[in-house]
Amino acid sequence: MANKSGNAYALTVLCPIRGGVQSHTAPLQQQLQTLQVNEQSPMAKVPNTYLCRFWVLSDVPYQGKPGFLDHLKSDYLVFSSNFYGELDPYLEGMWKALETGIRVILSHCVDGDSVSDAESFIEYIKRCKVATTFFFNGSTDEPLAQQLKNLYLKQEFSKFAFENQGKSASDLQAAFRAFVLRTQPDNLDGPTWAAGAYHLDKVVK
Amino acid sequence: MSNIAGKAYAMNAVTPMRWYTAWWNRLFFGIANLRPSTTAGLATLSLIHYARWVIIMPGQFPNLGKGQPRENVKYAYMIFFSNFNGSWNQYVDSFSSAIPRGLDLFWFGSIKYPKSVPVLPFHRYITSNQIWTDYYYNAYPMATSNDVKSAKRIKDALLPFIADSQRESPEEFLQKYNRLLINLQHDISQMGPNPVVSLSASAVERNLGKEREWREKN
Amino acid sequence: MTFEVTTGVDLDDIQGNVVKAYGRYGLIVARYVFFQINGPVGGRKFVGNILPLVTRGMPWSDSKIIPRVATNIGFTYEGLRHLDIPEVTLHGFPEAFSMGMKARREIIGDTGPSLYDYWDPIWNTPNDNKQHVHIMVTIDGKEEKDLEDRYQEIQRILADNPEVKQLTGHRGPSGGMYQPAAAILPTKDKLGFPGGKEHFGYSDGITTTFFEGCGEEENLVIGGGKPTGKDPRTAAGWAPLAAGEFLLGHPDEACEYPEAPGPSLFSLNGTFIAYRKLHQNVGSFNAYLDAQGAKFPDGKEALAAKFAGRWRNGAPLVSFPNEEGANKFIAEFAALQQKMWADSASSQEKERFAELSLQLLAFDYSNDTNGSRCPFGSHIRRTNPRSALEFGKTKAFDVPGALSNRRRILRRGLPYGQVDDPTSDNGEHGVIMLIVNADLSRQFEFVQQQWMNYGNDFGLANDPDPLLGNHENKEGRCDGGRMTIEGDAGTNKPPYFCDRIPTLVETRGGDYFFVPSLTCLRMIALGIIDPT
Repeated sequence: MANKSGNAYALTVLCPIRGGVQSHTAPLQQQLQTLQVNEQSPMAKVPNTYLCRFWVLSDVPYQGKPGFLDHLKSDYLVFSSNFYGELDPYLEGMWKALETGIRVILSHCVDGDSVSDAESFIEYIKRCKVATTFFFNGSTDEPLAQQLKNLYLKQEFSKFAFENQGKSASDLQAAFRAFVLRTQPDNLDGPTWAAGAYHLDKVVK
Repeated sequence: MSNIAGKAYAMNAVTPMRWYTAWWNRLFFGIANLRPSTTAGLATLSLIHYARWVIIMPGQFPNLGKGQPRENVKYAYMIFFSNFNGSWNQYVDSFSSAIPRGLDLFWFGSIKYPKSVPVLPFHRYITSNQIWTDYYYNAYPMATSNDVKSAKRIKDALLPFIADSQRESPEEFLQKYNRLLINLQHDISQMGPNPVVSLSASAVERNLGKEREWREKN
Repeated sequence: MTFEVTTGVDLDDIQGNVVKAYGRYGLIVARYVFFQINGPVGGRKFVGNILPLVTRGMPWSDSKIIPRVATNIGFTYEGLRHLDIPEVTLHGFPEAFSMGMKARREIIGDTGPSLYDYWDPIWNTPNDNKQHVHIMVTIDGKEEKDLEDRYQEIQRILADNPEVKQLTGHRGPSGGMYQPAAAILPTKDKLGFPGGKEHFGYSDGITTTFFEGCGEEENLVIGGGKPTGKDPRTAAGWAPLAAGEFLLGHPDEACEYPEAPGPSLFSLNGTFIAYRKLHQNVGSFNAYLDAQGAKFPDGKEALAAKFAGRWRNGAPLVSFPNEEGANKFIAEFAALQQKMWADSASSQEKERFAELSLQLLAFDYSNDTNGSRCPFGSHIRRTNPRSALEFGKTKAFDVPGALSNRRRILRRGLPYGQVDDPTSDNGEHGVIMLIVNADLSRQFEFVQQQWMNYGNDFGLANDPDPLLGNHENKEGRCDGGRMTIEGDAGTNKPPYFCDRIPTLVETRGGDYFFVPSLTCLRMIALGIIDPT
């Protein structure tokens, strides 16, 4: 099965949502739709998440005759994440960062109350996981911290190249040394781009 | 509710297929995994961060007991997830023109799939089977797939350059620096927010912004 | 003289401005006049009265049949609504057209200095929510007198028609009554290419977009059609584009009919034109070129060439990478051109002239995959990448032009105004651009948004087009626009960086017009459009 491409992992999870007289789907969807975005996103706290999404599968689509009409008996919370690394550490990182939020979401899901710690969370997710049939990686598979640092360096080096054009050799060399000191290319902790940031004046952390 | 996170667009499409065709598809995908040439067109298009196809056979919907009814669907279901740059409306033509046969192989067997050329029926088919994302997160909304790959090239060139250039004379440094620039000349562009992907999307953004302002004031 | 219809395109039914660049036929001055319809009966009467004046698309293969003046007509969405076109038909139009160009400003980048606040007054009214410009009538002629004669004919039609009003509010020398335009020529009465200039000094109107059945001379498929992957210097390297990219009711590059409102007779042979008045900041351009050109290693003309992708004299950079070669080429071309005009060229010279003419058009970027000749970000490489978006990986896509064949447009129009002070941005001078395409959002708007004001498809992140990009100071651009001019690994020449490029072109007005076939015009005039 093709869950991985290099070091990038494609996780697909379908969590069955509780049925019953009172809808669990509606409040769940509302919660998802009003989560904070960009650098305030809760997912920005989950290490190594490249791109992820949540949506609700309420029923399967009917194509019209001669197709048959199928129905799902439950709604499913679909969670799809592209991240760096192995599954267990990723899920552990997610639990550590978002335990409270996860509990709220899982309260709407079948057997969600069986989750009480990282271990039971990992186990729960594995029960809801479906295998990825084919995973296409059109990007890189470096750790997220490295990807963000790379982007920071691209942006800063682009500025450097423009600003230092035409300088004398010794001025250029001095400027470049200062650039290296400021941007610390080896240091993944900073300065770098903040996960999820979408404004130029907020992106560097 | 948004399919957009900065420069990335989240496409979710669910299509039914006969379970025996699904077996063929899984085999094909298995081969594709091993042959990079299959995806050469996709790679050259360079618009995609990550994409995946998930085929769920009729009995494979997760069932956790505790009273959850067993699913009884006739078809297998293929879920397509893609993170690409630009909107589906804007780029469907590019996909269909560039890799029509690839697309047809991926969706082979999906019930009433109309082939990727001509493009209007294909566009309608995917859109009618598209499910909107409730929440989309992108760790680098200001970067396209091209930008991410370009950034890696910059880092890969910059680190050894820095290591090499520790003890050079200014003139030697200048020469090496110019060669570095030539090497990276197509990577030296600055990133910023996305051009407006659609007027409805930016209207929603504005509305959310106004609502936030109102909530903060009241 | 009969014309054999060998394709499915009935040129007699198509308006002439769609299939012909009138400037090439010596119609080198123009007026663009706009009207408002205040009642459907009067509106239909106006259309009926203009109809006999409307120029068709039949080829002018003999110079004797070229008229002295041409007239064409188009309608905005509101214009069609005011003519009582049925609701069902109106709903069949795509949203880009029904919203109108002003409402699309965030997509096409008409913001900042191009915001409608700065447009000619004709485009703005106190009630700005609805389009009030309904009809565009274009008049193209050989001389001012020809324009004036036709214009007076139209005034007489108006005089009889209280329900149609001519809109005023154009800046410029016409007293606000119409938008004038005129080719800028080195000699007054002959237009050959690359003889026509625009206000930045570039030769313009060199390429022809060539589609199946367009009626143009066959040879113009070279460089004007879509690339086949074979040698671009020969006809084998090119094929005509599908007519449906530019005409409704004809198969397009996706092997189907483009989306169009019904009934089919309404849309068949019709198309859309984006009319845009583009002011040129000549002072800023010249100042920037002088200042950067002094620093750019190859000099000012080379810098101008790198921005555009052609030298200002018209020679394509990719075939003529240095100034000397470009000048020599154009000098020989111009000398032969004079002889052709004077009818004094020997048959050998005629052959040579044909060869040279081809060199202006017959190229692609496969011998320049690094951009060291023609930068990735230069204007013509952005607006018409040919097969460049394969990035050298031939056979990766279904066809070499897969990413550009559906983004082609036909360019019509002329420069307007004159530059009295080349150091100033002020004054009425620029280009009236008419962009013809079957699908405004897939073609014009896409190119404008993704290729002019953005750079991702070229691997250039957010970099905009140096000449047409909106360089207004906003998020993503500090102090104007930027461009990297590629160096050359072979000669160890480093790339050159241009920054602080000011906004050089600003929108000063315009809208989207439906340009119906002659059949449709007749039906509109009679009020018999019925989609039942």
